[in-house]
Amino acid sequence: MSTTKPTGAPVASTGVRTGGALGRNTQRLNEIGLIGAIVVLFVVLSVTASGFLTMTNQLAILRDAATIGVVAWAMTLVIVAGEIDISIGPAVAFSSVLLAKATGEWHLPFALALLLCLAVGLLLGAGAGFLRARWAIPSFVATLGLWSALRGLAQYMTDGLPVPLAPNGLLDLLSGSILGIPTPAIIMAVLFAVFVFVANRTSYGRSVFAVGGNAEAARLSGISVARIRVILFATTGFLAAVSGVLLAARLGSGNGGASVGLEFDVIAAVVIGGTSLAGGRGSLLGTALGVAFITIIGNGLVLLGVNPFFQDVVRGVIIVGAVLINVLLSRRNGARTT
Amino acid sequence: MSNTDVVAEVRSGTKRYPGVTALSDVDFSVRRGEVRALLGKNGAGKSTLIKILSGAEQLDAGEALVQGTSLKGLGTREVAGLGVATVYQELSLVPEMSVAENLFMGAWQRSRGVIDKRRMRADAKAAMARIGVDLDIDRSVGSLGAAGQQLVEIARAVWQKPALLILDEPTSSLAAAEVRQVIDVARRVAEQGVAVVYVSHRMDEIRQVADSATVVRDGRIVETLPVRTASTREIVAMMLGAAPEAVAARVRRPSSEPPVLTARGLRSDKLDGLDIDIRPGEILGIAGVLGSGRTETLRALVGLDRPDSGEVRLRGEAVRPGAFTAMLRGGLGITPENRRRDGIVPLMGVDENIVMGDLRGVSRSGVLDRKAVGQAAQALIDRLAIKTARPGTPIGNLSGGNQQKVVLARWLHAGSTVLLLDEPTRGVDVEAKRQIYDQMRRLADEGRAVVFVSSEAEELADVCDRIVVVRGGRAVAELSGDEIQLERVLTIAIAEE
Repeated sequence: MSTTKPTGAPVASTGVRTGGALGRNTQRLNEIGLIGAIVVLFVVLSVTASGFLTMTNQLAILRDAATIGVVAWAMTLVIVAGEIDISIGPAVAFSSVLLAKATGEWHLPFALALLLCLAVGLLLGAGAGFLRARWAIPSFVATLGLWSALRGLAQYMTDGLPVPLAPNGLLDLLSGSILGIPTPAIIMAVLFAVFVFVANRTSYGRSVFAVGGNAEAARLSGISVARIRVILFATTGFLAAVSGVLLAARLGSGNGGASVGLEFDVIAAVVIGGTSLAGGRGSLLGTALGVAFITIIGNGLVLLGVNPFFQDVVRGVIIVGAVLINVLLSRRNGARTT
Repeated sequence: MSNTDVVAEVRSGTKRYPGVTALSDVDFSVRRGEVRALLGKNGAGKSTLIKILSGAEQLDAGEALVQGTSLKGLGTREVAGLGVATVYQELSLVPEMSVAENLFMGAWQRSRGVIDKRRMRADAKAAMARIGVDLDIDRSVGSLGAAGQQLVEIARAVWQKPALLILDEPTSSLAAAEVRQVIDVARRVAEQGVAVVYVSHRMDEIRQVADSATVVRDGRIVETLPVRTASTREIVAMMLGAAPEAVAARVRRPSSEPPVLTARGLRSDKLDGLDIDIRPGEILGIAGVLGSGRTETLRALVGLDRPDSGEVRLRGEAVRPGAFTAMLRGGLGITPENRRRDGIVPLMGVDENIVMGDLRGVSRSGVLDRKAVGQAAQALIDRLAIKTARPGTPIGNLSGGNQQKVVLARWLHAGSTVLLLDEPTRGVDVEAKRQIYDQMRRLADEGRAVVFVSSEAEELADVCDRIVVVRGGRAVAELSGDEIQLERVLTIAIAEE
């Protein structure tokens, strides 16, 4: 991780926390705050919630985190670019249905069904991105269309019933563990590394930040803003499909009614992590902390036996509170720097 | 005329800003029914005078009076109450709302808490009639052209029954044919007994609209003279003052090489058959007043705008109009007029803002080479003397001049050979200006084509090897070498058709 101490040799500013030092202080404060909050949560839950500290529960938290995390990395870049993708939940459910249907009813070999599933996810996302890039349809609207259509399609294809998935080795692996660690968590971790690299070290990643920071300046510099926008949504579409496959593996079925509201958990994790909805500023490390924060709260509320309906209330309050603190921090910081 | 006719006046007014005296010991007055043109170069003190009269700024010494009441301690709201209405260059309309709604924005006619549409429409018709304009009041303002929007602004100001109406460059964003409408309206308003202060750079327009003109220079009023008898030459001389022409002992080296970029007969709503040749190895200035088509020329050349007709050739080959990225690949680079809005990504580092112009040059199969980024950025930071704490400092923290250098550096990094610089010295301090001029010279000496667009004729006359003067969307004159004289450039730029 880059530090801010001046160095003699010219070193590029691209660090894990990106968006430049102007936002970096705020970002760092936010991350430290989040780490603090997670530590406090951990301590409080260890004391109050029986079974929180058990190995089984910790691994369950990791597994739950992957449900949000896998898509959250891509969502971070989407939001950094000043866009939003709200189609995640339905996209995940649809892709689980597609996998179940393709292997069952349509008798496709599993590998082919998997490929189909991922390809369709990628193309659907790219389609939303294309609507945004080519016709300037706001991404909220383009993905709202997907949100509605994919949920409807998934339910329609299954009559609202789970479609069982014939077990196989790969599905077992995806739903199981490798060396004791849940496979989805490993996938999430690998993807995290990939996204940190992409965000900070590739032309594409830096262009995303440039587009989010000032799209017109990026365009005038010769960056293909349209191409970047299409790729962004193709990526979220693809990772939603990956999540769908993991979901299907975990449930042993394709389920059109699954993952309701997942998009909001993902967006909340990104925003809590300090990524600005206005674009141009954000950090994957922050998102990772946001994912951890949300997952631990969810887990704790269950263990504490809070009424499931009331859990949503608590989460809502905590999410807004976290973002409010972030906004206040950045305002104080911004007042000093500008 | 009796003294009671004086609507607004400034007596021995002085206004200082840190580092400059914007107005010094100024006496100024306007009477009812008169249209007074305010003339002067950028920074001469016109805007300050307007701000004083509208209550946006306070005098440091002397006094300002409207209808005999001192403006001391009054804000814009109170001054508006005294009968001063100002229409600024930037319009403050809501495009989606109707003309009628815009006219009474925030002060909508209401009855029992509900907006009274009938009364609003009736008043709107009356407001448009007062300025003598026939405009559909139910249309959305966004569907009107620039001229229509300007007229709505004026109608809104006139509806307040002002004693003094200030129009700050009301025609700068209008095409030549639309200017007439605004002129007519200004005359009509004056006939109703309103004092009108009219800021403009176009002499032909001033002659049509104004009775007299006040020339401002260096914060002082040079003279107030009747426009009908004064010649454009005389007025230009007043705006410039005693010309320190001795400085003109500079070398101009107009290039004799064949042009690298040419345009013929460019037409759009702001361009009217514009021809231009851009040659390697020289600094070509594009002079012209605000709204003359300077920026539009650059945008059409680089392919950001698609002209209705006309042809652009790069190294002799016709290029598809509007092919911006192809033009960049062909070696063009443009620094936009509005640097903050269009030029920089404020949160990103200086280094990344530089390499943005060509990310391929510092990456291998899409992966950035940090060392290459650092070296490329450092080399340009050194070359252009960009003052930054570190290469990674967010560009938003830099001064305007240094930001501008970064935007220029972007194209040097990309290896551009044709540099189109739109107002590169706007909002830049004196030292940085000097450095930017030096860089332009150096780039021209290296054999690049440098196109320098500026609203300040002085710097063009100072720096350029050749100057094209644009007026009304046409290139009306080309001066090269010793033909370049400030007075001549200015006279052509503001002259009547």
